[in-house]
This record gives sequence, structure tokens and C-alpha cells, in this order.
Amino acid sequence: MIPEPGALLALVVFGGAVAVDGTSLGQFMLSRPVVAATLAGAIAGSPEHGALLGLFLEAFHLTVLPVGAARYPEGGPAAVAAAGAYAGTSHSFSALLVVLIFALLWERLAGASVQGLRQLNVRLSPPPGRESVRSGRLERRHFLAIGADFARGAVLVGAGTLLAGWVLQQGFFLLPQGTVARLALGAVLAGSMGAAFRLFGRSRVALLAAGAAVGVLALVLRG
Amino acid sequence: LTALTRGVRRALLLRSFAVQGSWNYQTLIGTGFAFVLLPVLRRVYRGDEDALYAAVARHAELFNSHPYLATVAAGAVARLEDEGAPPETVRRFKTALRGSLGSIGDRLVWQAWRPACALLAITLILLGAPWWAAVAAFLLVYNALHLWLRVWGLHVGLRDGLAVGRALRDAPFQRLGERASDAGAFLAGMAGVLAVGDASRGPAEYALGAAALAAGLWLGLRIRWAVWAVLVVVWAVDTIVVATS
Repeated sequence: MIPEPGALLALVVFGGAVAVDGTSLGQFMLSRPVVAATLAGAIAGSPEHGALLGLFLEAFHLTVLPVGAARYPEGGPAAVAAAGAYAGTSHSFSALLVVLIFALLWERLAGASVQGLRQLNVRLSPPPGRESVRSGRLERRHFLAIGADFARGAVLVGAGTLLAGWVLQQGFFLLPQGTVARLALGAVLAGSMGAAFRLFGRSRVALLAAGAAVGVLALVLRG
Repeated sequence: LTALTRGVRRALLLRSFAVQGSWNYQTLIGTGFAFVLLPVLRRVYRGDEDALYAAVARHAELFNSHPYLATVAAGAVARLEDEGAPPETVRRFKTALRGSLGSIGDRLVWQAWRPACALLAITLILLGAPWWAAVAAFLLVYNALHLWLRVWGLHVGLRDGLAVGRALRDAPFQRLGERASDAGAFLAGMAGVLAVGDASRGPAEYALGAAALAAGLWLGLRIRWAVWAVLVVVWAVDTIVVATS
């Protein structure tokens, strides 16, 4: 749902911070979906909703590697927008499914906006081969590029939260129980964990099995 | 090290957090690298504006590195500039270094450390830990290595200058990456089972979850398309069921 104006404003500012954390400034990984969605959920009133959404988005993002000039979906602002809208709902797996699809679409748009920003940065940066570059000018343009990234994230989160909130408010497609959605979400989460294992090399299959055994033990102990 | 006062070193470290601030397709982090070096260049070329602007132009050219290990190059180049090394030597050194700094960081941080830390957070949430504990665990563990890499990189760069390659070879990056991958593989197994267990209420549902886990193992990095397909199909079925009921 669409958050209160104060919470929406806080989400927009947080979205800008998340966007710059992704690449431009810091890279403390506030921009990881599990962090961004949880904190956005806390801002919008339900960190538990945010954490649940962040859990899924993080699982889907484990296999996205920002190597070199690779183009990839940008998860941070999308996670903030989706969590900001999802936090106001009563929990249902159908709503989670809808907001997850929204986030996966929005992070594609966010990724495209990163490409646009990088093109803008080409204009802001001194062209190669110049023999003289004023230090103050370079510094100002560098800060301007970071500011543009912040603004990009803020706009993405503002628009995204409103759009996701509107979609959730329609509600006509949400099954009350959402059993199929629950099963599908469990399946994609389990599948994503399997895929994540491939990052670490097939030779570690014994460790995967050991982890699975501990997981079974945890399930048994939890009843 | 005349120009490299404590204040300048601190400025180098702080500015390194913004090394990717103007990332672009032409010079990659070149502009950001010049931005990081500015406090050093301003001291080295104090009183000679033309030489300063020429040095800024040289350092704003194409450069790339893993962002956390850019401090290795920044420290070493700061030392070379302070010692008055010829520009061509500095340029060749940067060219030689950038491939290593990129590949070491990508393999250690992006491919091993970050996924392992994220899996830690996922596992904690699936185990029922409070949300703040999962987030705090992720941020603390991840950034312990992140911050150490930045500080260590600047230290060895300033200390070793042109000979920084030896420090990179001797650093325990390989071993650290292996241990992180071990932890990641273990946590992937644990989180996979917990994900199946959380979503399942009966034998058929457990079987579905187990099949999904196996499919993920098989698909690997291609899983994202399968995730998309499942989510969209289920949403469409959900919508049709509601519309017709």
C-alpha cells in the first residue's frame, strides 16, 4: 500500500542513499536487497515484511555478479520501493508474489537507468588524451555525478513505491489464502539456494550436503 | 615521504570510498582515481598549477580496479608521485596493476565473500532470527573484510610503491576466498533445506521443494529465467482463478 507522506519522503531519501551505495559511494552493501528491503520495511512500519521480501530478492540476486562493465539489474532501489509498498499490507503470499514480480521488473528499469547515468558520466568526465584538467572542475563534476546517482535512486524509489502501492491496492488478483503462491515462492527460494551453490564450485558438494543435514536437524528441532 | 602527511593519507582513504562516483564507459574509474589522488597531487605540485593540471589529466585516463583494492594503486601511485617518478613509469605501473586488482577483488569479494555473507543473512532469517540480527550480521561480517581491504591496500601501496606486487602475491586472498566458498556452500545447503521446510506442509510439497532445489543445482546461474517463469505463471493462474470464481 502507499505509505504515509512522511514515510514516503523518508523512503525516497533512503532510496537515494541506497542507489549511491550500490556503486558510487561507500559500497557498504546497504544496497543489498536483504538490507535495503528490511530497512525500508522498518521505515514504512513493518521490518518483518521487509525482511521477508528482502530474503527472496537477495536469493534471486546471489548469482548476479558485477564484474567489469557487466550490465545487470539493480536490486537496491527496487527492493526499497517494493518493501515500502508491501509493508502496509496484511501478510499474504499472493501479495508477496505480486510485489516480488514488481520488484524484479523495477530492478530491470533501475539497471537501465544505471546505463543512462554512466553515459552522463562520460560527458561529465574529462575526455581521454587531454593534457590538462583543472582539479577543481574534476572534483565538482565527480560530486555532481554522485548527486545525479542519488537523484536517480530517489526518483526510482518515489515512483516505484507509488506504483507498487497502487498495484497492491487494486487487490483484485489476490487469492485470500495464496496456497499456490506459497508453494511457488518456496520452490523458487529453494531453487535459488541450489543455484547459489554453483558459485562456490561443484567440488564442495560434501559441504552442501553437510549444510543440508544441519538444516534438516534445525527443522526437526523446531518441530 | 614528504607530501604524504597523516592528513593526506586519511584523505586518500576517505576519498577511496568514492572512487567509483563517476564510473563511465570511457575511462571506467579513471576520473574517480584522479579524484582520490587530488590531495596528494595538490601537495606535490603546490605552486605549479600547470604541472598539477597535467598530473590530474594523466590520472584521469582509463583505469579500472576492484573498488576496495583501488587503495593499493592509490597508495603506490601517491608514493611514486611523491618521489618524483617519471609520468611514463607511473602510467606503465598503473596499466600493469589494474588487471590484478580487478581479478583478485572480483574473485574474493563478489564471487565468494559477498554471497557467503548474504547466505548467512538468509539462513538467519529462515531460522527465525530477528530481522535486525540478520541485517547486522550481514553488514558487520561483510564490512569487516571490506574495510580491512581498503586500509590494508593503502598501507601496502604507500609502503611498497612499485614493489606492491609482492604484497599482493603474499596476501592470503586465495585462502580467504576458499574458506568463504566453503562457508557459502555449507550455508547454501542449510538455507535450501530450510526454504523447503518453511514452505511445505506435506510429503508432496516437500517433494516439490526438493525438486526445485535440485533444479537450482542443475541450472546454476541460469536460474533467474526459471524464477521469472514460475512467478509469472503462478501470478497469471492466481489472477485467472480469482477472475473466474
